[in-house]
Amino acid sequence: MSNKVTYSSQENLITRQNNAEKAFLETFEKEEFTLDNPQLVVNPYLINPLCALVMFKTAEAVAPIITVKGKRNSREDISHTFPAATSHMLPVLGLYENFTNTIVISLPDGFSKDLTIKTGQLPLGVCRSLNIRTSMDYLQDNLMFMSPAGKNLPVAFDYKGDIRWMLTENTIFDIKRVANGNILTGSSRFAFMLYSTTGIIEMNLLGKVCKEFRLPGGYHHDQFEMDDGNVLVLTQDFHRGTVEDMCVLIDRKTGDILKTWDFKTFIPQDVGGSGSQDPRDWFHNNSVWYDKATHSIILAGRHQDAVVSINYDTSELNWIIGDPEGWPRDMVDKYFFTPVGDRKNFDWQYEQHAALVCPNGDIMCFDNGQYRSKNKDNYIKNRDNFSRGVRYRIDTEKMEIEQVWQYGKERGQEFYSPYIGSVEYYDEGHYMTHSGGIANQNGYAADLIGPLAAKADPLTEMRSITVEEKDGVVMYELESEGHFYRAEKLPLYHDGDNATFEPGQMLGKLDVTPEFDTVPDAVAVDEQPPASNGIVIEEDEDLIVFNATFEGGTLAMLCLEGKEKRHHYFINTSAIPYIAMCSGLFHETDDRIIKMKISKEGLKGKLAVKVIINEKKYDTGVAIFCP
Amino acid sequence: MIQEINTKEYDKMEKIGPMLVEFYSKKCGPCKMLSFVLRDIDKLKPDFKIFTIDFDENKDLKERLGVTGFPTMLFMKNGEEINRLQGLKQKPVIIKAVEEIE
Repeated sequence: MSNKVTYSSQENLITRQNNAEKAFLETFEKEEFTLDNPQLVVNPYLINPLCALVMFKTAEAVAPIITVKGKRNSREDISHTFPAATSHMLPVLGLYENFTNTIVISLPDGFSKDLTIKTGQLPLGVCRSLNIRTSMDYLQDNLMFMSPAGKNLPVAFDYKGDIRWMLTENTIFDIKRVANGNILTGSSRFAFMLYSTTGIIEMNLLGKVCKEFRLPGGYHHDQFEMDDGNVLVLTQDFHRGTVEDMCVLIDRKTGDILKTWDFKTFIPQDVGGSGSQDPRDWFHNNSVWYDKATHSIILAGRHQDAVVSINYDTSELNWIIGDPEGWPRDMVDKYFFTPVGDRKNFDWQYEQHAALVCPNGDIMCFDNGQYRSKNKDNYIKNRDNFSRGVRYRIDTEKMEIEQVWQYGKERGQEFYSPYIGSVEYYDEGHYMTHSGGIANQNGYAADLIGPLAAKADPLTEMRSITVEEKDGVVMYELESEGHFYRAEKLPLYHDGDNATFEPGQMLGKLDVTPEFDTVPDAVAVDEQPPASNGIVIEEDEDLIVFNATFEGGTLAMLCLEGKEKRHHYFINTSAIPYIAMCSGLFHETDDRIIKMKISKEGLKGKLAVKVIINEKKYDTGVAIFCP
Repeated sequence: MIQEINTKEYDKMEKIGPMLVEFYSKKCGPCKMLSFVLRDIDKLKPDFKIFTIDFDENKDLKERLGVTGFPTMLFMKNGEEINRLQGLKQKPVIIKAVEEIE
């Protein structure tokens, strides 16, 4: 057989990190490392080249201070004091790229040790800051963390726009710090097209994945940590024909699903559609928030231009914020608000993202504004449109709504992000508005959303602008290359455990991939599939990802054949138009490329991978192993 | 019984009893797969009438029947559409729809 199929098998990232951790901990135990001669591990968890671990022991319990020296002056130094101990395993965070960094470790008795760490150039394709306007006084020790919306990588910028943190793993969607100081974000592992990944990961800023919470329906867009540590996560049942219309509560310790909210049970699917709605992606839930004061869940549904509140226990609808056009009269009367106050400057939000509840019950969101109408005849062209952060005050007794703040309308098309973005509430009058998906063609806002515009015209300029405003004054503005789904301002170090050393865990479960019960006639041939099909099989511990290129109209089926059992999976070779692309992570510019995950859940033993392409069944020569 | 028909034949035929009319395209992978599914159903229910119509070559008919994509399966009884399924479906779903009109 000639080599027409590419196969790769890699241990899961958690396994690789556990092995790496075990190795450096064993070295640490075996040898006598002192402050004068510490063990230094750069990029200890393999995916963050801008960090290190310094490890040493002291005779007495002491509280060491780590200082990463600033590039320009001592005010830029990043310092953290660790709890007193005799065995010290200290994370060094915030290294500059391609630079000889100086790290000072000092003890309370005045003894200190300088270390240098020379970092390399970051990978090509990392999106850089283009312009930044802020001050050290304002930003202090915070970085602006940016989660990618495409094949770019997560990064964090300091007050000068230097990248001080990054991952070489393409984690996705929301990035939030949780009570223990770790961050929750989307796993980078493929689950379903277009952008659902296997679940969420909890990681520290060294890049160590402490837990991956896998979900049968995968993860998309957002998650929210509850007071008890359990997490609301957005998901779906991918096999029932609709997507992005479910939320689950997962147990933080076990990954088990404790409760499920199915939006089909409380919102009609064929009403109030936004310009991007289709029957499959009818709601397009892109944010989740728990409001303790009202014991309700707030969900943003881009494809109904709606921010929806439901009762946590009963799933009953409380209210809907949005343009009421296109909704049934009885629902408008019962759930929708009437604008009051400054009606002249009031705007509804359209195709919004990242809805949140302010401490006083006001609702904020990023109003993308795509189409800015329910009625096709009134759709607004992107170059005439605007995006903004907006805050609404709602009176749920009178069912009245007042717009009390907005930022962005005045900037028009230059701040227009039709498909991604976020807002943050810090304090009264102190907000962030992140317009992460700006696309320009010939000086105007592109007619299509960025990834699609860039597919048609590679000269499309992709930008992200993040603004923080305090009492009406812009205190921070960052313009960067590329598209970023959300921005989150965080300091690198926190008061909890900045590094823990228990093995990372894979929790929860993937789905059992549905099989196809009819097998087409095909002649088994002792050949690999043609090279033009470009078959790539990626095997992970709990799944395989099958990648291939098929001309439209090809009959194709993936067959996993064991000694006792055969499994068949239909491959849809029809090009699917993706109009609501919140992340282009798995998107290919060639429509003929398909990507398909087969979970190992429910499979057993050694299985040969074969592919039916039209009338022939080819043997890829690859076998996978399912424990 | 599976039979390929065109617009003329569809208009001419007596539409008595239950039948399945499937619109397909030669440029569609799911349609090709569905042809094997329908073949299996035909083996299970040899007396049930299944007609297949080329979507691209019978534009007037597909418009008359409100068919906008392929594959589309129309479940009809005495000439009246009772149910329709769009996209590739597995045997149990199609058999259930067939049994609802039998």
